[in-house]
Amino acid sequence: SQPLAGRQAAELQSKVVPSKQILHSDNMEMEPETMETKSVTDYFSKLHMGSLVYSCTSKRKSK
Amino acid sequence: RMEASCLELALEGERLCKAGDCRAGVSFFEAAVQVGTEDLKTLSAIYSQLGNAYFYLHEYGKALEYHHHDLTLARTIGDLLGEAKASGNLGNTLKVLGNFEEAIVCCQRHLDISRELNDKVGEARALYNLGNVYHSKGKKVASAGTHDPGELPDDVKNALQKAANYYEENLAIVTELGDRAAQGRAFGNLGNTHYLLGNFRSAVLAHEQRLLIAKEFGDWSAERRAYSNLGNAYIFLGEFETASEYYKRTLQLARQLKDRAVEAQACYSLGNTYTLLQDYEKAIDYHLKHLVIAQELNDKIGEGRACWSLGNAYTALGNHDQAMHFAERHLEISREVGDRSGELTARLNLSDLQMVLGLSYSTNNSMLSESQVVENSLNGTRPRAGRRHSMENMELMKLTPEKVQNWN
Repeated sequence: SQPLAGRQAAELQSKVVPSKQILHSDNMEMEPETMETKSVTDYFSKLHMGSLVYSCTSKRKSK
Repeated sequence: RMEASCLELALEGERLCKAGDCRAGVSFFEAAVQVGTEDLKTLSAIYSQLGNAYFYLHEYGKALEYHHHDLTLARTIGDLLGEAKASGNLGNTLKVLGNFEEAIVCCQRHLDISRELNDKVGEARALYNLGNVYHSKGKKVASAGTHDPGELPDDVKNALQKAANYYEENLAIVTELGDRAAQGRAFGNLGNTHYLLGNFRSAVLAHEQRLLIAKEFGDWSAERRAYSNLGNAYIFLGEFETASEYYKRTLQLARQLKDRAVEAQACYSLGNTYTLLQDYEKAIDYHLKHLVIAQELNDKIGEGRACWSLGNAYTALGNHDQAMHFAERHLEISREVGDRSGELTARLNLSDLQMVLGLSYSTNNSMLSESQVVENSLNGTRPRAGRRHSMENMELMKLTPEKVQNWN
């Protein structure tokens, strides 16, 4: 029965040698998403700039 | 006085999110919404940031809700740029939720408005987002099947080809704009799209560009991603030695970045690569390293996968006692996590091993061993196809929680 055992072992071994199939589990590494951003700061600073421009022009006009 | 208070709360929310504390940022933004404001542009900015904060916190239902509010508001006040941005964010969120058709409509809207406003930066970003939606769509359908990259049904191939085209269009613009960071992102995802399409040489070329840009920026995470993706592509080119070199660099960077989950993934990839190189000792070494980290992170699925891989490698070396140990452990874990196909695989492995061990233990009693063979071969009438299938389904859980990246 020893040769039979040997044969079984060899069969088992050849069965478990993995193919490329197992590598399906490999992680594909994606780049991050880009989200569009809005900010109250931007808006606030624009407002501020607007009023600055306004005060400058009105000063100039008043001169 | 109330106006200032809403603004103050929103500003604090912005500050916290930029500092990476989205959870705290969310409470300030929500407080700002509670206080309310007459200024619809400010409100739109708050909704948008709430949406993004929830997106980074992986609470996509909430993200969808706020980006939708933002879109409605932008349309109401006739803010075209604001509408484009809200559409893009809504598109990204719908993509993550798997609603690809609506995601495409939203991202297309982002693209159309950007072109209308002659906003090149917005146009490029919309093209990148569209590429991502088609990539996810293709990948989702592809992962339902059990084929190698490159062997794809037509609808998958079409979606991935569209993704590749959008990334190429994006690349043309960001190259013109000289935006290297955006080029890096496009090359990375283009490389992964080529990989799924089975264009492994093109995948390598794209990831090499990604690597170059990552090094320019000293961006270790991006560098590590590039190495890992290069490793994957070289596996399918059959160049296992090269793949192992890239995986080793991934491992090195994962250790420098102190990211245990990524380190585990790199060890697992290396274990598989050395198995393909039929160097089972090294394969076992890396699979054991993977096992230790999986246990440390209490990642049962990873632990089960490690045991399965170790069982295979020990069997290949003829170390059936160790093989048996890990096959038993694989069975236990599969039961614990309710993985039916894993459980079946483990049972089949165990019965194969029992047969071999039974025979070798009983060599001094030929009668017994003969009867054992008969018994075992009777038990051996089982679906072989089922085993292959279960192996192919050894899916990888994404171990790494995506980090809050690129708030701006």
